[in-house]
Amino acid sequence: MKNNLVTTLSVLVLLLLSQNASSQSLLETLDKEYPTITEYELATFKGTHLAIGQSIENRRKGTLQFMNMNRFWNLPDNTNSQSFIADRWNARLGLEYSITDRFTVGGGWNSFEKISDSYLKYNLIRQIKHSKKSLSVTLFQHASYIQKNSSLNSTGNLDDVNTRLAYTSQILIARKFTPEISIQVTPTFVRKVTPSSINPNNIFALGFGGRYRIKPHVSIVSEYYYVANPLESVETFGAFALGVNWDVRFLLLQFQMTNAVSMVEDRFITQTRRNFNSNDGNFFFGFNAIFTIHTKK
Amino acid sequence: MNKITSLLLLLILFTSFTTKPSKIITRQGQVSFFSYTTVENIEAKNNQVLSIVNLENNEIAISMLMNAFVFKKALMHEHFNESYIESDLYPKATFEGKIIDFDPTFKGDQTKIIKGKLSIRNITKNISIKTNITHKEDVFLISGKFDIVVQDFKINIPPIVAPNIAKTIATEFRFEYQPYEK
Repeated sequence: MKNNLVTTLSVLVLLLLSQNASSQSLLETLDKEYPTITEYELATFKGTHLAIGQSIENRRKGTLQFMNMNRFWNLPDNTNSQSFIADRWNARLGLEYSITDRFTVGGGWNSFEKISDSYLKYNLIRQIKHSKKSLSVTLFQHASYIQKNSSLNSTGNLDDVNTRLAYTSQILIARKFTPEISIQVTPTFVRKVTPSSINPNNIFALGFGGRYRIKPHVSIVSEYYYVANPLESVETFGAFALGVNWDVRFLLLQFQMTNAVSMVEDRFITQTRRNFNSNDGNFFFGFNAIFTIHTKK
Repeated sequence: MNKITSLLLLLILFTSFTTKPSKIITRQGQVSFFSYTTVENIEAKNNQVLSIVNLENNEIAISMLMNAFVFKKALMHEHFNESYIESDLYPKATFEGKIIDFDPTFKGDQTKIIKGKLSIRNITKNISIKTNITHKEDVFLISGKFDIVVQDFKINIPPIVAPNIAKTIATEFRFEYQPYEK
C-alpha cells in the first residue's frame, strides 16, 4: 500500500511537470527561437556631417550625396547694410559617393578663399547594439588647396605652393548612448605650412560633438574644436557650432549658428579668427541642404 | 487491486504524454508591406519572421524584429527604424491569436479567420485576418493579407512627407510550418 502511494505521488508530480512545460506562452517560446546575431547600431547621427565637421556616419554602398552648404554673415560696422544676416555669403558645393558600405570618397569647392578639397572616409569599427563597451570608429583623411586670400581668415600671402596645401587627419570616435543621445570625440591632426615661420606646421586639436534627438525627425547638434597648439601669428578661437538637423526623406537640412566662416576642415579647426557671439562679423549663420540619391537598385 | 491501480496510473501517464501539445513552427516566415501613393511606392520585406501554432488549441503566435525589414533604398531602412517605428525602443512586432474553427487533421486547402492581438510599438489592436491554410503531409502553409492603419500605432509622420506615405499599409504574410522539436 505504501509503495502504491509513492507511485501515485510520483506520477502526479510528473503530470504536473508536463503540464507546466506546456503552459509556457507561445510568444515566450518564440522569444527563445531568435538566432543570436550581432546587430549594429543604426544612425548614431543622421548625416555624414554633424554640424560644421564630419560625423562617423557613412552612407551605404552606391549612395551619392549632393551637398549644398552655405554660411551667411554681416560685415562689422556696415551701417548701409540692406540685408538681414547676409552681407556676405560663402557657398560650398560638394559630392560624396559611397564605394562600399564603409568607404566614402568626397570632394567640394568653396567660394570663400576659392578652396578645393577632397577626402576619404573609412568606417573602421561599428558600434554593436546592447553592448556597453562598443564604439564606432571612423578614419578621415582630408586635403585642401586654397587659391585666394581673404582678410577675414588670412595668415599672409600665398606665393609658395606649400602654403596653399593643407592636410587633415581625424579619428572620429562616437557612441550612441540612448536613442536620443550620441556623443563624438575627434582627435585631429592638421599639417599645414603657413607663410609666417613662427606658426607650428603640425597642429593638434580635439573635437567634441553631440546630438540630442528632440523629435523623430529633428535633433539638436553641437560641436566644438579645441586646438592644443594654435597659430602664433594671429589670434584664433576654437570653432563652435550649435544647430538643428532636420531630415525630410532624402533631404537633410542643417541650420546652425557658428563662429567659423569656412567649411573646410583644416581652415575652421585651426584658423577660426572670430569668437562666438552675436556681434556683426562674428556671427555666422549656416544652412546646409544634403540630398541623397541611391544609385544602386 | 494493486494491478488495477498501477494500470490506471500507467494509462494516466500515457495520456498525459500523448496530450502534450504538438506544435508547428517557422523560422523563415515572410512578411512584406506596401505603401502605395501617387507620389511614391515604398515596400519592404522581412524573411526572418518567427511563428508557432499549437495544433491542440489552434493558438498562433508571430514575432518579428522590425530592423530585419529590407528596403530597396538604404536610407529608407534607416528612417523606418530610427524615425517611424523607433526600433531602438520597440524592437519587435508581435501577434497572438487563434485560428477559428481550424481542423489540423484536414488535408488540403481551407480558408479560415485568425482573430487576435497585433502589437506594434507597444500598442495593441484587435484584428481578424482571412487566411488560406494548406496542409500537405507534415507541412502547413498559412498565408494572407490585411491592412494596417498607420494612425492606430501612433507613428509620427511629419506633414511634409504625409503625401508620400499611405494612410493604410497593405501587409502580406506567408508562413511555411514544420513540426516543432525542442
